[in-house]
Amino acid sequence: MINLIDELKAIPGVIGASIVAADEGLKATNLPNFFKPERLVLVGNHLLKLYAAGQLSFNDLTDITMNFDESVVVARALDKNIILFVICDPNFNNNLLNMSLNLLQDEFKAQNISTLSTASPTPAPAAATAPAEAQASSDTNLDDLFSVMEKGLGKILGPMAEFIFAEVVEKWTANGVANGSRIDELIKLLNQEIIDLDKIEHYREIISPALKEFQKG
Amino acid sequence: MANASDFVDRVSRIDGIVGCVLIRNDGKKIAQSLDNPEAYTELMQSSNSISADVMDSIGFSYCRYVSFTQENFDEFYMFPIENYLLGVVKLAECSLETMLETVYQLIGRVSTGGAEGAY
Repeated sequence: MINLIDELKAIPGVIGASIVAADEGLKATNLPNFFKPERLVLVGNHLLKLYAAGQLSFNDLTDITMNFDESVVVARALDKNIILFVICDPNFNNNLLNMSLNLLQDEFKAQNISTLSTASPTPAPAAATAPAEAQASSDTNLDDLFSVMEKGLGKILGPMAEFIFAEVVEKWTANGVANGSRIDELIKLLNQEIIDLDKIEHYREIISPALKEFQKG
Repeated sequence: MANASDFVDRVSRIDGIVGCVLIRNDGKKIAQSLDNPEAYTELMQSSNSISADVMDSIGFSYCRYVSFTQENFDEFYMFPIENYLLGVVKLAECSLETMLETVYQLIGRVSTGGAEGAY
């Protein structure tokens, strides 16, 4: 789970993040050591309480932000009893953090679904053929997603997008296996090419439906 | 807080603000420009108390505000002002900077500490 929050730390102004589960305590943190684990659990539990209260007033609540004199705490529930909170400098990039939290939340859901499916104690009789079919389906979905991502990049970067996309995908595949679990790395590399934060946000909006569809499988 | 109604009225006049409610720490309503202030008062009290808990747990100092963001990016803000709490319903298109500037200017006029000069 630590890999989920490590990317948040790369955002300018983000000090670090923690994930706290109501029943399991601290699940991950990359905050500096002076934030003691027991304190982070307390903070997580306070935020879970406030999140639950917030949902009574706003059923489509996404984030809670606490703005203190020296720092800002942004909290998002990943699940009913699991909260992620990010501690930032006051001048952090809110749009970029929001976009990253959306991606992280999708990835968290995908990981949970994957964990649930691999934890199934009695595989169905057809399971022997399932991996190959799943792989083929996954490849097709990845191709579809790439097509949307490349077209979307064209709307952001213009005629050079095709070339840039190919170059970034090449870099991405050089760093590891080209599969859906690393799609956020690819998006991060593309964002580095787009540079402009408004355009990054616009690109996210363009690819979001296809990304969600892909993650649903 | 003699001009509580005027205070609420001025905050509500900011472009993109739906309305606001001013309550005492104990939940007593002082002034409001929202149709359903009761929908927010308990949340404001919880926000105030839990932000203080977070502050104590992690060692932060003064809490300027707590905000709740919805999927459509509309937001609800809770500002602690000494013994009072101000709740503001803000639409997504409302400039956060303008809203904060105006609210803090107004808070500065009616408050002797806390949020004064925080912005």
